[in-house]
Amino acid sequence: MALTLDKRPEAANGNSSTKPDQRAPDIPPPPYLGRSVRIVGPVVNVDMNQSPHPKNQRGELGKPLFNWYRNTVSKDPLTRVSAPNHFADRKQFLTSVVNRDNKGKINPKRMPVADPAAMTRHIKAVARYMGADVVAVAQAHPSFLYAGSRYVQDGTAEDAYQTSSPADLVRKFPYVIVATTAWDYDKLQAHRHHIGDSAYHVSQMKGVVILKALEGYIKELGYTALRGVVTPQAAGVASGVGELGRNGLVINKTFGARIHMPDPILTDLPLAADQPVDIGVEDFCKICRKCANTCPTNSIPFGDKVVHNGIEKYKINWLTCYKLRPYVSDHWGSCLTCATVCPFTKPNVWWRSLTVSALSTCPIPARPALVRALKWIDDRFWGVARNNRVRWLSYDSGIKPGEQACTVAGCTASHDGKAHSAQMVGDAGYYAPLKENTNRFVKRDA
Amino acid sequence: MTLRLGPLTLSWPGRDSRKNDPYWDSFINTPPADLANTVTEMIRNAPEGNIFPTKADIHTPEITSSHVKELAKYLGANLVGIASLPSPLPSPKERGDSDASSLASILPSPPGRGEGEGLEPYPFAVVCAVRAEYDPRTSPGIGGQVPVQNGLFITFVLSAWIRELGFRAAAAPDLNAEKLAAVAGLGKIDADGRLVTPQYGNQVHVANIIRTDLPLEPDSSAT
Repeated sequence: MALTLDKRPEAANGNSSTKPDQRAPDIPPPPYLGRSVRIVGPVVNVDMNQSPHPKNQRGELGKPLFNWYRNTVSKDPLTRVSAPNHFADRKQFLTSVVNRDNKGKINPKRMPVADPAAMTRHIKAVARYMGADVVAVAQAHPSFLYAGSRYVQDGTAEDAYQTSSPADLVRKFPYVIVATTAWDYDKLQAHRHHIGDSAYHVSQMKGVVILKALEGYIKELGYTALRGVVTPQAAGVASGVGELGRNGLVINKTFGARIHMPDPILTDLPLAADQPVDIGVEDFCKICRKCANTCPTNSIPFGDKVVHNGIEKYKINWLTCYKLRPYVSDHWGSCLTCATVCPFTKPNVWWRSLTVSALSTCPIPARPALVRALKWIDDRFWGVARNNRVRWLSYDSGIKPGEQACTVAGCTASHDGKAHSAQMVGDAGYYAPLKENTNRFVKRDA
Repeated sequence: MTLRLGPLTLSWPGRDSRKNDPYWDSFINTPPADLANTVTEMIRNAPEGNIFPTKADIHTPEITSSHVKELAKYLGANLVGIASLPSPLPSPKERGDSDASSLASILPSPPGRGEGEGLEPYPFAVVCAVRAEYDPRTSPGIGGQVPVQNGLFITFVLSAWIRELGFRAAAAPDLNAEKLAAVAGLGKIDADGRLVTPQYGNQVHVANIIRTDLPLEPDSSAT
């Protein structure tokens, strides 16, 4: 899910807000973030407590959203063990177990690092060995950091740096490690369904475990590892994990939009930073608009980039995106439509690598023509929206949400209150709600 | 770096080759100075969750077994098997298969958290195993313990899921895990008492054993 932050500086009202530079003399100049995002004005560090989930936890987004978030137990057993809320018992949710504990001490015997490049290769190999799909290192910049008190998952994470300013933190801890996992492509085809939810939530849990283990390993090497400090998407774009798309998601060369952007690690471990990449997302998003067309809540802009908080980017409307959730929570948890329909979200196979490398090596003026051709192919072969039928465990995306039926082949068990469905054939999935159905309850900005 | 061509894996000399990594040996073999820095310790110390009060609608034991295995593999298990556990008292539903009776001699008293609470013993054990390039018993480093970490991830989520289905499930380490794995059909026990699997030889780590009363279909042991 893209978290677009809410705090607006007075200067950023949608137009160019370039002001005389008021940065302190020791703050480094704005970094180059690739072609998809540009820092054009002063960036006000955003307090994480003003982002969607914490706002909702405090009840600031209204009763339906608050009750959905805090007081709803999912009907689906797998969602109850894998989604960040809607559990019946918090003890069954691995992320809360792993994030609760961060009392490990930094090893006083520090591992000497003669060659930061070798250490970078090592950290990347470690993260991959633990199961990460993407690992990259960014040079930290104060504009990437959250302001105010630390975003803590458990309320007890206190450390010596809690009150340090972003500039101080970056001076002490110059590197950000982004390690993340990708969602299963086949299960994602049944997004807006519990199958897609599990693709999202299980890989998210795995990512949390990997990052926690990596954080512990850095402490064991004798260096500091801070969490809850860096905006994941800023770090993702700066480290070359991907480019920021129209849908507000970081789009990766290998996995497209189907990667998580979990809380990165800010560290003083000597590393060599990666650079932003150009994989053609910028050119594709200008033309494609597939995510904007299929978003059930019209939260993704059709227009050009805007300047928000000193950053030029596509700005999604997070509130309308968020407001959909209580209405659909009976059937699924995570919409993921924008990630699924993105033409970059494809299985990781040779024709995909070939296409992305063709796009990224194509001269920029020639790219729009190539993008139009690729978009046509994508619409023709993958459709404007996904409607594949996916069967996994007892789930079947061909069953209309709310209907009860067992479609498991060969099952002879007697099921209370639900018949064995005759609808065993066909490959059309049923994804609710359709865009037109959401018009009546999602209030949109003009 | 390795080159994978279907089942064939060739090692490929590359810049990130472990031989050129001066820190790799320490990652695998140096025990952590503070165990609180390891995820394995966090998951091991986590309390067991509650059983969901309503039993989920489940399928026939064969289908439920295939779902348990499918979910375990999705969570990262390389090998999954189901063993039937011997009941200390002869029950009317005695299965009469030789696995259970041979297991009874290996495991005189099956441990499990249900014991001593006046509950029925667990009839089934779900055995998950992950590939272990380095033996976790001799590699105490955070890297050497990665198979244990992966195993704990699988058994935590899988046992929590079974409890959310409304059935009892307890994931706990077991001294006889490898023998149970052999009973569950994952491989054979060699002369040294180690599990040898057809897929990974003895480079395999058997995760916590999940004991459960979810109706399952046990696998036959590889004999």
